[in-house]
Amino acid sequence: MKKRLLNIVAGCLLLASCQKLDIPPVNILSDQDVFTSEAGINAYLATVYRKLPIEDFTYRPDGRNDGVGNVGFNLHHEWEHFYCEGAADGEMVGPYGGVDIAGGFGYWPYASIRDVNYFIETLPKYASNFTGDKVSNLLGEAHFLRAYYYFAMAKRYGGIPIIKVVQHYPQQTIEELQVPRNTEEEVWNFIGDDLDTAYQMMGETSAKERANKYVAMALKSRAMLYAGSIARYGSQVFVDGEARSQGFVGISADKAAGYYQKAIDAAKMLEGHYQLYRTKADKIENYVNVFLDPASSENILVRSFYAGDPERNHSFDATFSPNSDMNYMTSGGLSRAYPTLEFVQHFNSFDFVTNADGTPRRYNNQGDMAQGLEPRLRATVYFPGDVLRGQVFDVQAGIYPSFSGTAADEVAKPVGSRSFILSGDHTTLRNGRLIIGKAGMYPPAFGNDNNTRTGFYVRKYIDYTKSISAVNLFTSTTPWIEFRYAEILLNRAEADIETNQTDDALKCINDLRDRAGAALASVGDMTVSTVRNERCKELAFENHYWWDIKRWRIADQLLNNTHFHGLMPYYVESENKYIFLKELELFNRNYYFDKKFYYEAMPGGELATNPNLYPNNPGH
Amino acid sequence: MKLKSFKILSLVASLLFFASSCVKTDSYAGPDASLHGNIIEEGSKNNVQTCTGNFSIRLEQLSWDSTPTPQDIPVSYDGSYQNTKLFSGHYRVSIHGGAFWPVAPEEMDITSASIKDFTLTPYVVINNFTAVMTDSTTLKLNFDIDAPVAGIPKVLEIQPYVNTTQVVGPGASIFDFSDLKKITVNKEWSDFTPADKSREIIIEDMVPGRIFYVRVGVKFDNNDKSSNLSQIIKITVPGR
Repeated sequence: MKKRLLNIVAGCLLLASCQKLDIPPVNILSDQDVFTSEAGINAYLATVYRKLPIEDFTYRPDGRNDGVGNVGFNLHHEWEHFYCEGAADGEMVGPYGGVDIAGGFGYWPYASIRDVNYFIETLPKYASNFTGDKVSNLLGEAHFLRAYYYFAMAKRYGGIPIIKVVQHYPQQTIEELQVPRNTEEEVWNFIGDDLDTAYQMMGETSAKERANKYVAMALKSRAMLYAGSIARYGSQVFVDGEARSQGFVGISADKAAGYYQKAIDAAKMLEGHYQLYRTKADKIENYVNVFLDPASSENILVRSFYAGDPERNHSFDATFSPNSDMNYMTSGGLSRAYPTLEFVQHFNSFDFVTNADGTPRRYNNQGDMAQGLEPRLRATVYFPGDVLRGQVFDVQAGIYPSFSGTAADEVAKPVGSRSFILSGDHTTLRNGRLIIGKAGMYPPAFGNDNNTRTGFYVRKYIDYTKSISAVNLFTSTTPWIEFRYAEILLNRAEADIETNQTDDALKCINDLRDRAGAALASVGDMTVSTVRNERCKELAFENHYWWDIKRWRIADQLLNNTHFHGLMPYYVESENKYIFLKELELFNRNYYFDKKFYYEAMPGGELATNPNLYPNNPGH
Repeated sequence: MKLKSFKILSLVASLLFFASSCVKTDSYAGPDASLHGNIIEEGSKNNVQTCTGNFSIRLEQLSWDSTPTPQDIPVSYDGSYQNTKLFSGHYRVSIHGGAFWPVAPEEMDITSASIKDFTLTPYVVINNFTAVMTDSTTLKLNFDIDAPVAGIPKVLEIQPYVNTTQVVGPGASIFDFSDLKKITVNKEWSDFTPADKSREIIIEDMVPGRIFYVRVGVKFDNNDKSSNLSQIIKITVPGR
């Protein structure tokens, strides 16, 4: 009985299947499903935005093996945010053994570019489903997205193949698909043109995570500034090679001024639409909130993060403040990257920690040293004695039973012949006082970098409003600000000063300095190095510095077997005072930037599939 | 029992399957070729003085592909190089990096025991290099720098390299005795005075009772910021 029933059912199924075979596959989304509704379009673009090469908290500049080879963006379950650009370029010292990020990770986003090209080709066919200027807006957005992908490649490789249409295989031959490299100049011009198109087609407003016409101009000001400096400084410092002589890397110097002017023009388009954030009267509090207030008038484009799902939040708060293995300021995670003395010296020489006679200045309290420093610096870096979540940055390198002589003599003594007491434990006391403090540094020999190696901790982007118990891995949702108006002012000021438009540069710099609580500049101060220094201060730890020192072509001088320093706090027992000594950071690592690193090598796998990508970049 | 025989059967089947993949052997010859040689200095006809990572011999196997992935053989510190595991074929052989006047790449067939020497002109040669202990812990280095051909890249730095083994040079030296004694020059050769060309470097606080190997280098602002290096001198610091 049972068997007969089965036979009947099977027979019916067989018959039914004959009825209609030629239907569109029901398990695949077709253009019809995606391009006829706004929801479909949003879902399509969400993928493109998620893959957009924004160097946010979770970006890993040297890539991490994610099971599919090295990946730098959209890593699975990434929490080690101290593997950041700043930790390899001298803004900080961190887990990298040196300039370990120069090889990149073979970024090659042509799959995403294809998604954008497909969008540009397909959407017009479904235009009747949308009203008003919606289609034009969306196409403009697509041009912005495409420009962003090309920007991320141009700054790594120079000239790469420009692909504006969807490629088809096997309809097209392999030879057709092996598109040769364009010159670097062609690529930057293409980026500029795409952004102009985006500007013309897009509206003035958008969700804060999506582009509008001003976002396009923000990227244009950045991209054209890069192109200008590559033209000017790349013609002075370069590695010879075939790729250079054929124009695949490098731009002729006489093009520099034109690019700089484009950067200025683009930056000026944003004027009046965005303002520097000035909400709190206290300059330190105000600057801290620039990075935490989602309603900031300065934000142009952000990437949001969401609670709950580990793949959509980040761990910044738990990886840049001391846990000290005792849940000191966080309830999980650990820190491994710390600002250098060289970084804070962009603001101040810190010579004031030493008296005129060379002896270290004595401070009653640890926190006294940082008093009076520029508010922006205080809001960017946590100094010894600062407080976060009710806990003090209690940082000591050790205790001197007594101290005599000059700072220089003391630091020059061979390791082992200095008389201070050190400890590898945050709870060890000497005469009732912690030897290294709860946030202090381990002895160098310990090889433990879970506490500061320089005396400093990062403050920018740290959410001070969270309680200790709320700070753990995968609990942070602070948005990453990809474009903020301060950068636009700096792009403009730098292009200004490079083209002798000093007054406009001064205006931009003083707007920034006023907000930062810094002394205002005068016309006489305005030089290229002043403007660059302002950029280093304002955009610290925001993944700009690495690209800046590369495009200024000074990385090979700044990172020339360089060893970075810290400002080490010690307690002097006999005097009940604190002193600060400028010393090599605990790990004393070596940072070397080879000139060939100004361009990354073309990814080896791509060279193997497309011989037209040769010649490889000089020196590789 | 039934399950067991199925297991055995599937094991046999998979073994057969795996074994069948071994039937087809690849027909390429093994890496039976080798290449070695010396890098000789044009003037003195001696091997050039170099160090680990300074420069390398670049091989591109043109008989394999028109755009082959390059393969670099590092030149060892005595100026020789060798690779005994190469595939026979037609190669482009060139010098990659280093502080020398460029040498045009050459194409050659590499078979077993192929030999290729290169003759190079360094940007500068370091002559009359002496290293003497002036007291129990102080080392004095003297040397003269000469550029055989004018028009060399800008000189960035002159520095001694001290190490406890004879592998000594940029990247293999003791920081305090080497990098801290670096002289920043940043000068074109044409601006060099006679004093610039004849140098003295003093290294204090050498560790008593230890043996050190010392040499000096001149670093250029060329493509890879490489150095010309002196000979290596062995120094014995007297014990206490």
